[in-house]
Amino acid sequence: MFLTRSEYDRGVNTFSPEGRLFQVEYAIEAIKLGTTAIGIRTNEGVILAVEKRVSSSLLVADSIEKILEIDSHVACAMSGHTADSRTMIEHARVEAQSHTFTYDEPIPVESVTQAVCDLALRFGEAADGQESTMSRPFGVALLIAGVDEKGPQLYHTDPSGTFWRYEAKAIGAGSEGAQTELQEKYHKDISMLDAELLALKVLKQVMEEKLSNTNVQLAKVTQENGYQIYTKEELQEVISRM
Amino acid sequence: MNFAEMHQPEFAQAPATERHSHGRWEPYVDNGGTSLAIAGSDYVVVASDARQSNGYIINSRYSPKAFQLTNNVILATSGYAADAKRLVEVLEQNSQMYFHKHEKPMSTTATAQMLSNTLYGRRFFPYYVFPILAGLDTEGRGAVFAYDPVGNMERVVYRAFGSAAALVQPFLDSAVGFKNQRNADATRLLDREQALKIAIDAFTGAAERDIHTGDWLDIYIVDGNGVQHQKRELKHD
Repeated sequence: MFLTRSEYDRGVNTFSPEGRLFQVEYAIEAIKLGTTAIGIRTNEGVILAVEKRVSSSLLVADSIEKILEIDSHVACAMSGHTADSRTMIEHARVEAQSHTFTYDEPIPVESVTQAVCDLALRFGEAADGQESTMSRPFGVALLIAGVDEKGPQLYHTDPSGTFWRYEAKAIGAGSEGAQTELQEKYHKDISMLDAELLALKVLKQVMEEKLSNTNVQLAKVTQENGYQIYTKEELQEVISRM
Repeated sequence: MNFAEMHQPEFAQAPATERHSHGRWEPYVDNGGTSLAIAGSDYVVVASDARQSNGYIINSRYSPKAFQLTNNVILATSGYAADAKRLVEVLEQNSQMYFHKHEKPMSTTATAQMLSNTLYGRRFFPYYVFPILAGLDTEGRGAVFAYDPVGNMERVVYRAFGSAAALVQPFLDSAVGFKNQRNADATRLLDREQALKIAIDAFTGAAERDIHTGDWLDIYIVDGNGVQHQKRELKHD
């Protein structure tokens, strides 16, 4: 199967005769190797939950960061090649600050998402007047959570530079099982407290290790307080309610 | 000696080199004219005369210097008419790009900040324009922003700029701002009819004493229903 593809595996911007971009498809595959990340939208705000793979007892779990702040009203959870996400998050942060500087207002959540997706397609040879930053597609998927005048929103982006808006979404290795579970348990009027619990419960089901306050991260973005990441104690409180 | 020769101004006889100091590049012209804006609790009134002059010459008796952008924001200008025209084009273009990128019209406060940055972006070759930006803020209140040519911005309740600013601003300070008046509530906002009347009176007075202000008065009133424009007569002499 791979032998027949090989000719069109070379150029990152070369379509195969069937009309596919294999390098982009492989990048999407790379995400399925990443840790699971979950986002749930409620009417009050958005919950983000990620699994951390603490592969050794000597590894300092705190050094793994998979939920990051983009602006005080937008945050992002990731799965896939974590290092690739640095470039994307940096770009998103610059776009957000630039918008505030130019217009004296917070950037809309969809606009940050669009900005990140514009970057995701900027690989291979540079177009005229454009600088190319990557030689290959980014191997990372993001869950972008934020609040603006349209209310709480959750977006999912993938290496093809496409984005979708979701009520609840799971990405990464356990995404298939997690998405099915979310589909069953999610309802439009879910509260933030229930969304916290649901996120952790679903995460627990798809994790190999036993869920604890060191191998998961939880964050929320609300209209009132913007982005907040849970401390170990706050996380433990949610776990104790499970 | 006929009448025309007798009344030739003296400098007309002087050699051209002395008047223009030999072809020096002069990128700026002051085209005169006056603009003002007054904010209310749920409206804003903008008024600009339409005379455009160059020294003692009137270029045009109706060349508007207040402009309506598509996002229901008014830009009232004074100074150099060509720079004002270009500034409005840049603002309108940015406003349209914003609308397509973010799928919403640019708010008055966002336009205000963008205008400040646009002006400061030309810090070392400024637009010779004294802009007044007027519209409604997100709470629906009247908002007036006043600028210097390099983008220093201030949100105010009322402001006059231009060739008759030295006449109009003190009048507004008294009639709108209640400045230095005992037992007067300087924080109260005018109702729409009062504001409109004061704006018209200010220009009637300015046209009497300032030769660069006159001919026609463009008035814009912005409120929750949108923008209303009217054109009134001023002194034509």
